[in-house]
Amino acid sequence: MSPHKHILGTFDEALASLRNNVLMMSSLTERSLERAMKGLFDRDDDLCANAIADDEEIDQLEMQIDKDGVAILLRFQPVASDLRRVVAAMKLSSNLERMADQATTIARRARKLNQHPPLAEVELIRPLYEQAMSMFKDSIDAFVREDVALGRAVVTHDEKLDELNRVASDKLVARMAKDPDQLRGYLNLIFIGRCLERVGDHATNIAEDAVYAAAAEDIRHQAVAASS
Amino acid sequence: MANPDPTVAERVERPAEPPPTGEPAPPLTFEVKNLSIWYGEKRAISDATLDVASNAVTAIIGPSGCGKSTFIRCLNRMHELVPKTRIEGSVLLHGEDLYSNIVDPAIVRRRVGMVFQKSNPFPTMSIGENVVIGLRLNGVRNQKFLNERLEKSLRMSALWDEVKDDLHKPGTSLSGGQQQRLCIARALAVQPEVLLMDEPCSALDPIATAKIEELIYELKTQYTIVTVTHNMQQAGRISDYTAFFYLGRLIEFGPTTKIFTNPSERQTEDYITGRFG
Repeated sequence: MSPHKHILGTFDEALASLRNNVLMMSSLTERSLERAMKGLFDRDDDLCANAIADDEEIDQLEMQIDKDGVAILLRFQPVASDLRRVVAAMKLSSNLERMADQATTIARRARKLNQHPPLAEVELIRPLYEQAMSMFKDSIDAFVREDVALGRAVVTHDEKLDELNRVASDKLVARMAKDPDQLRGYLNLIFIGRCLERVGDHATNIAEDAVYAAAAEDIRHQAVAASS
Repeated sequence: MANPDPTVAERVERPAEPPPTGEPAPPLTFEVKNLSIWYGEKRAISDATLDVASNAVTAIIGPSGCGKSTFIRCLNRMHELVPKTRIEGSVLLHGEDLYSNIVDPAIVRRRVGMVFQKSNPFPTMSIGENVVIGLRLNGVRNQKFLNERLEKSLRMSALWDEVKDDLHKPGTSLSGGQQQRLCIARALAVQPEVLLMDEPCSALDPIATAKIEELIYELKTQYTIVTVTHNMQQAGRISDYTAFFYLGRLIEFGPTTKIFTNPSERQTEDYITGRFG
């Protein structure tokens, strides 16, 4: 990646603005996920409401990033690393918006859970949460620092998250059989686990886009390609 | 994701692309080896080596004064029209040394046609005469043959429908874009093997430019085309391969998609992204 500035200063400004909006969106998404999960663990409806309210600003940022990205493509017709950065930024915003949607879903289900007596099994979700957030933060770091190795590492962690989700779901299904009165609560926890698993999928997408932006390498679907 | 249904894949039309790494090398029209060119004491090209693939468009890019025009002019020995030029290295056209003592430069220029930045129809000649002048100068007198070649060349340059009723009018009566296509028709009339273009669209409006670009795309099925352009987007649109020159040196050469998404050299990246200066 070139350290030199563009001859067109407005091009540098437009790229910096796009990047700043992506970073802002990732911070808000991270905060929204943390609020939703804290709302679940601490049984705090206010935090859940805040997580749900965050979504609107994140949606607005997604539209702004798309608009700015299209404007850059139109005005500056970027190529090489500039083109990859713009494409990656637009794809990142789409993944971040979906992550924020998962935070909203988690917050809504947490509020339902909070209406009933606490379930000890909520702790089954904590390892998933930690893994998903670790992947999320690493994927954003990989994008920000253009760290190809970190991006690749995030992709390999997705299977671990899937496995953690399988283990938690199996345990919750077993609990349902033993304690059918709490069926609704366990189902909500299963759905929250599923949301976190989806967060990991989006983090994987972001990590793949980070690798593309930094090294022009498309590492998507490599497991599928290798097995076919 | 791989498409499991081959019938779907068959229906998808894809533009020709350079073969990916590992595929057999495409047939070559030019093999340029260790080429250096001097104008008097000034070295305009330094030790350039590149192969020009057949039936493909190769774009030459780089800042003003980097040797782009000199490079394509040496592909038909036109740079020799400048006094005190000197060349080292070799340029092979289909394996034949263009600079061998036994090769006639006039024959080279017939085999390797050229279109210039500014359209230059002969001002005293009609549209029709402009197209066939090359054949006439080569001694062709058969009017039926000339008429056939006239129509064919104008059709190939996508100008026939616009001028077929005005062939007697002066070439200079046409618009700038039409004049440039007339010059392409004139170059095609002598049936060259290669078409060199030195910024063929730089004086044209976007519509005329689009017509020339479309024409280049169609012509490459029959001709090898080497074009100089200052327009990065045009290079990206029309070329299969791109060569970047800087200060007379060939900095990078490769498939256009690679050059414009992930160039290997920092200087290429800085130039195409507008960070030069």
